[in-house]
Amino acid sequence: MVLADLGRKITSALRSLSNATVINEEVLNAMLKEICAALLESDVNIRLVKQLRENVKSVIDFDDMAGGLNKRRMIQSAVFKELIKLVDPGVKPYQPVKGRPNVIMFVGLQGSGKTTTCTKLAYHYMKKGWKSCLVCADTFRAGAYDQLKQNATKARIPFYGSYTEVDPVVIAQEGVDMFKAENFEFIVVDTSGRHKQEDSLFEEMLQVSNAVKPDNIIFVMDASIGQACEAQARAFKEKVDVGSVIITKLDGHAKGGGALSAVAATQSPVIFIGTGEHIDDLEPFKTKPFISKLLGLGDIEGLIDK
Amino acid sequence: IFSLFKNLVGSKTISEEDMAPVLDKMRDHLIAKNVASEIAGKLCDSVAAKLNGKVLGTFESLANTVKASLTESLVQILSPRRRVDILRDVYESQKQKRPYVMSFCGVNGVGKSTNLAKICFWLIENNFRVLIAACDTFRAGAVEQLRTHMRHLNSIHPPEKHGGLQMVQLYEKGYGKDAAGIALEAINHAREAGIDVVMIDTAGRMQDNEPLMRALAKLIKVNEPDLVLFVGEALVGNEAVDQLVKFNQALADYSASENPHTIDGIVLTKFDTIDDKVGAAISMTYITGQPIVFIGTGQTYADLKTLNVKAVVSILMK
Ligand SMILES: Nc1nc2c(ncn2[C@@H]2O[C@H](COP(=O)(O)OP(=O)(O)OP(=O)(O)O)[C@@H](O)[C@H]2O)c(=O)[nH]1
Ligand SMILES: Nc1nc2c(ncn2[C@@H]2O[C@H](COP(=O)(O)OP(=O)(O)OP(=O)(O)O)[C@@H](O)[C@H]2O)c(=O)[nH]1
Ligand SMILES: [Mg+2]
Ligand SMILES: [Mg+2]
Repeated sequence: MVLADLGRKITSALRSLSNATVINEEVLNAMLKEICAALLESDVNIRLVKQLRENVKSVIDFDDMAGGLNKRRMIQSAVFKELIKLVDPGVKPYQPVKGRPNVIMFVGLQGSGKTTTCTKLAYHYMKKGWKSCLVCADTFRAGAYDQLKQNATKARIPFYGSYTEVDPVVIAQEGVDMFKAENFEFIVVDTSGRHKQEDSLFEEMLQVSNAVKPDNIIFVMDASIGQACEAQARAFKEKVDVGSVIITKLDGHAKGGGALSAVAATQSPVIFIGTGEHIDDLEPFKTKPFISKLLGLGDIEGLIDK
Repeated sequence: IFSLFKNLVGSKTISEEDMAPVLDKMRDHLIAKNVASEIAGKLCDSVAAKLNGKVLGTFESLANTVKASLTESLVQILSPRRRVDILRDVYESQKQKRPYVMSFCGVNGVGKSTNLAKICFWLIENNFRVLIAACDTFRAGAVEQLRTHMRHLNSIHPPEKHGGLQMVQLYEKGYGKDAAGIALEAINHAREAGIDVVMIDTAGRMQDNEPLMRALAKLIKVNEPDLVLFVGEALVGNEAVDQLVKFNQALADYSASENPHTIDGIVLTKFDTIDDKVGAAISMTYITGQPIVFIGTGQTYADLKTLNVKAVVSILMK
């Protein structure tokens, strides 16, 4: 993931601070230039990158006579704080509760990996002993129901869908009601891909959400997305109550920096990452441990609190 | 008075330092429009090299001169040096009594199968008969997806409208089989049945996945398609560069051939989802030097366009 790769570059950029005899504006600018270039190459939203640069700059007052050591610490901690802001929206992800139905609705752009990830997630909980199932509320894409059906059958996950019903709201409602009645605990609802430019698709998403009243809505994002992510993510959040993000296709070369802007735009944490096309290519993602591992420094928290 | 006059309107030589702040802004602007950052950098460098030492015209501002030069470069990058004329080439192979073969490739979920169906619709509208080869034998539902499209297309263009002939057929062997072999059988079938075009759908694959990239190279080598189209989505950021470089490289390296068949053209999909962030068009053409043959602008059969270079450049520069 983006920050993992960045870790190295950032450490090297920060080292330039320690090597410099005096910390002046020039040194800071050079360091920020390096960090920002690395972020942009990883597709992090350019507005967020500019913000990071301004925020780090604003904490340092070069006219202040404070010693070099102090300045170094201040700069370091400002950089860390800003990086953490990129991945950590500061809210706890939704925790499904055992022994009662948890309805999870998947939304996202076309082809981002929703259907594949739905099965992976249902399977993940099934393996942990939950009664989980799948509902196919995509009546639009050619072969969508067959796709989910084949995936679910292979994984032995109960599923619901229809070849004839054309209204996704009806299917979603029927499927969720049926599985609730059968005391399923983890009910995953797959929906069609959509984008903010097409109102009717967004309206349909809202109707499905109103019908099944999900406990959590997961926004699925492809790791290769570039600068268009933020506007899409924000639009999804404005329409329905997105609560979590999953970034897919991180098994490739993509660093996922563009997808990360979905975290800021939806104020939702990344909960899983997709790392392949197979059913167990799904890894839980925990923001805080990820950050400390990334920065590779034990005293980060302390540094930041100061 | 004379020297004052000179100072006011006199011409000035352009230096790198003068341009630096303007170019920094342009680079950020291009990145914000989703041009890959490496390519945004290269474009700005080439503008700098081109303008360095040039004399700034009397009433020209530096910013406008830089802009004009960049605009020119962008138009050049997007303007194909070679035209891909599919209809002409299909007529040509019709004369030779052999099917015209096109294959689609790209990473996962970008819109290969959907845009294959759209292009199929366009071919049928031009009165050609098509055989779709279902060579994605991996992803769940891939075969059914194509079958659904075949049915829809045949109901829009029923045999009654075409002298009793079924306009599109599907050649499929289910899942798990070797893709290159299915494509070969499909092409042979099309030749015998006198079908004009074979469209080969392939499974999405990550550019770093060596076994899958080798399998693609084999499919292309064995079947020698007339046209290899790379399908990429307009949403993609910096990855556009890596995808195209590595697809081309794999087709070259794994084909074990003197004259390997690499990417002939690009289908740029999901153009309706990106507002003004049209930079992927630049990244993809810059890297390959190959034309964008089609633009996908939606999820229906009619949502297939060709690139309007002027419009895209003006959106980029806005
Ligand atoms: N390599 C890789 N491929 C993935 C991953 N997740 C999904 N895919 C592939 O991405 C493609 C699209 O996945 P889908 O699950 O069909 O995407 P979707 O969001 O449901 O698509 P629509 O329903 O059309 O909007 C398929 O080829 C999947 O196999 C992943 O983590 N890694
Ligand atoms: N908005 C929009 N959606 C598109 C466009 N082209 C394809 N899609 C959608 O993108 C999703 C994925 O399309 P597919 O054709 O299945 O993609 P693929 O590349 O064949 O996917 P895999 O075979 O799984 O790798 C579907 O929901 C399509 O409807 C387009 O131009 N615009
Ligand atoms: Mg789907
Ligand atoms: Mg496909």
